[in-house]
Amino acid sequence: MKILVLNSGSSSVKFQVIETDLERMNAHQDQTLATGLVEKIGLSDSRLVLKVPDRKAYTDYREILEHRAAIDWVLRILADPEVGILGEVAEVGAVGHRVVHGGEAFASSVIITPDVVQQIEDCSVLAPLHNPPNLRGYYAAHAALPDVPHIAVFDTAFHQTMAPHSFLYGIPFQLYTKHALRKYGFHGTSHRYVAFRGSQILGWEKDEKKLITVHLGNGCSAAAIDRGKSVDTSMGFTPLEGLLMGTRSGDMDPAIVPWLMAMEEMTLHQVNTMMNKHSGLYGISGVSSDMREIIEARAGGHQRADVAFRMFCYRVKKYIGAYAAAMGGVDAVFFTGGIGENSPEVREWALSGLEYMGIELDRHINDGLRGGEGEISSDGSKVKALVVPTNEEKTIARDVVRVLNGIMPSWEPPETVSP
Amino acid sequence: MSWELHNVAIIGGGMMGRSIATKVAQEGLNVCLKEISTEAAEASRTELEQSLDHEIARFGLTNSEKKAILSRIRWVTQFDCAADCDLAIETVQEDFGVKRRILRELDRRMVEDHPIVINTSTLSITELAAQNSCPERIVGMHFLYPVTTTRVVEVIRGQLTTDSVYERAVKFARLLGKVPIKVFEMPGFVTTRVIMPLINEAMHTVMEGVAQAAEVDLAIKLGFNFTMGPLEWADRTGLDRVLTWMQHLYSESGEPRFRPCPMLKRLVRAGLYGAKTGQGFFSYDANRRRTDRLPDDKPRLA
Repeated sequence: MKILVLNSGSSSVKFQVIETDLERMNAHQDQTLATGLVEKIGLSDSRLVLKVPDRKAYTDYREILEHRAAIDWVLRILADPEVGILGEVAEVGAVGHRVVHGGEAFASSVIITPDVVQQIEDCSVLAPLHNPPNLRGYYAAHAALPDVPHIAVFDTAFHQTMAPHSFLYGIPFQLYTKHALRKYGFHGTSHRYVAFRGSQILGWEKDEKKLITVHLGNGCSAAAIDRGKSVDTSMGFTPLEGLLMGTRSGDMDPAIVPWLMAMEEMTLHQVNTMMNKHSGLYGISGVSSDMREIIEARAGGHQRADVAFRMFCYRVKKYIGAYAAAMGGVDAVFFTGGIGENSPEVREWALSGLEYMGIELDRHINDGLRGGEGEISSDGSKVKALVVPTNEEKTIARDVVRVLNGIMPSWEPPETVSP
Repeated sequence: MSWELHNVAIIGGGMMGRSIATKVAQEGLNVCLKEISTEAAEASRTELEQSLDHEIARFGLTNSEKKAILSRIRWVTQFDCAADCDLAIETVQEDFGVKRRILRELDRRMVEDHPIVINTSTLSITELAAQNSCPERIVGMHFLYPVTTTRVVEVIRGQLTTDSVYERAVKFARLLGKVPIKVFEMPGFVTTRVIMPLINEAMHTVMEGVAQAAEVDLAIKLGFNFTMGPLEWADRTGLDRVLTWMQHLYSESGEPRFRPCPMLKRLVRAGLYGAKTGQGFFSYDANRRRTDRLPDDKPRLA
């Protein structure tokens, strides 16, 4: 079945067409037919890019004022006899939508019904920048393709298996019941895929081991996955918590916020932007938010780039240790994301000194592995270390197949909990 | 007819014009900012860049956001740019004749039902609009200092302003991230009318020797949880402007509560306009930071 996967932002729509079904999934032979995006939605010079394997990229410009027009454009191009990949739009059998926040309502992917739309809208207060455009993308796609099933896949869903002792913050409990203030975690689709694929490579039944998945990209997060269930993850109520990131601070003492607001007379906006856009690798090094440039600068003797690099790796290591403790051991560590897949330096530093836990890196293999998948631990290593390139779109397409085949638990609206 | 906001014309590249341009561009819209000469346009651009740099230093903005903002603002010296704009707003000085002339230029070039916004705190929208071929599309907005952080804007309905134009102005206010307060035309609207007597009373309190200016300001600031006292607010707004407003309110209403305090007149006559001249009720450095705060006038954690 050909599945359209959509990731709708406020001014862009990223899309992929993936051909997959149960058989292809099991054989790891899902096929990406096309990828692309429409950007600058709402402006007069919106751009569409379509990439089809083994063909030159196709680019076009026009005025696209809202998501509906963007989706129509995408479908028209996909079915275009010259540049497209579909004979007709009707070949699209289902649409998978990435939705950032599913709150506590969604622990798995679901067919989108009016009830589901309402629940996603209710979660918008938790992700005001992301859920509304995700929904706009759904409305637009549903209007264009009213007769096929639309499936929502949530970034937060995979982590809904965390227990209260793991997801609660140590603040008054009534703030949790009143505002649903708790750890949700993000990158769930990626952690789930990487855990599954890594286990598959090792020939493990996916639900029997203790895994730590480390997603290091623009945003970074780690997850502790105990026998197939996420039991802890480093991002929190928002994607700010946890590991050091490109421009995000990750963990810090929350008392810094009121202190800065008082002493520097910073506004809410300024302190928020400071933590989200001026911090992390960029804020520490003053050089760049890009790990490649940090590594280059540090090789050239740049001290702040060096300390930024060390902080980044140190935090990853700390979380690996914490999650091994949380699960009572670990069988494998999987690296993914732009940095996780492409930076042997980061992987080496993050795992160094963990030999006592049974993690032993094969330096030679690690150094040679950039952008592919494979094992980087030594033959004798008790704990396996792997690089597993993530593929969130593929996971969304696979979820569409799973949901349509009844493999995922069917969803019912949660009972309302009275405060 | 459908109307969408994509291109905005701003007449006047002073503090108000730059601040509105920044916000509009930040929201992804295109701006043409009209100044009177190439030199003025250049100066306006430099100052806008400086204010963006200042915000970057305060962590409120990133370099790439600055680049995106600048890419959407076009400085021009002719009114022709307004022809394909969905809304125009003038931000020139509070002078009836100047504003009326600008309205005519815009009125002549813009599509009939595209709103023209007058930015004023005391002038009559109705009287300014009356000179135009379509007075129905003229609407007022009153921004408060500092424009970048103050969340409120008064949206003023003139006698002839149509509902649809008024709603477009409200939409524009929302786009700027402001809470619109809907007001009918009346000198001082809500904010100026209510705050002026407070400022005037603070000045009288100083003049009568009840307390020093710094003590009066601190009492009101801490006592009522204001971000700054009324005298510092007047200093930062410009004592010359405050005096103009008060005189206008006084002459329009005849109410003695708006009669400007003699002390205010004295400072203005001496050219001590406040933060912009370095001296008003208080002293300021070149970056408009106060240099004479009382020891108790400082941030505190608890």
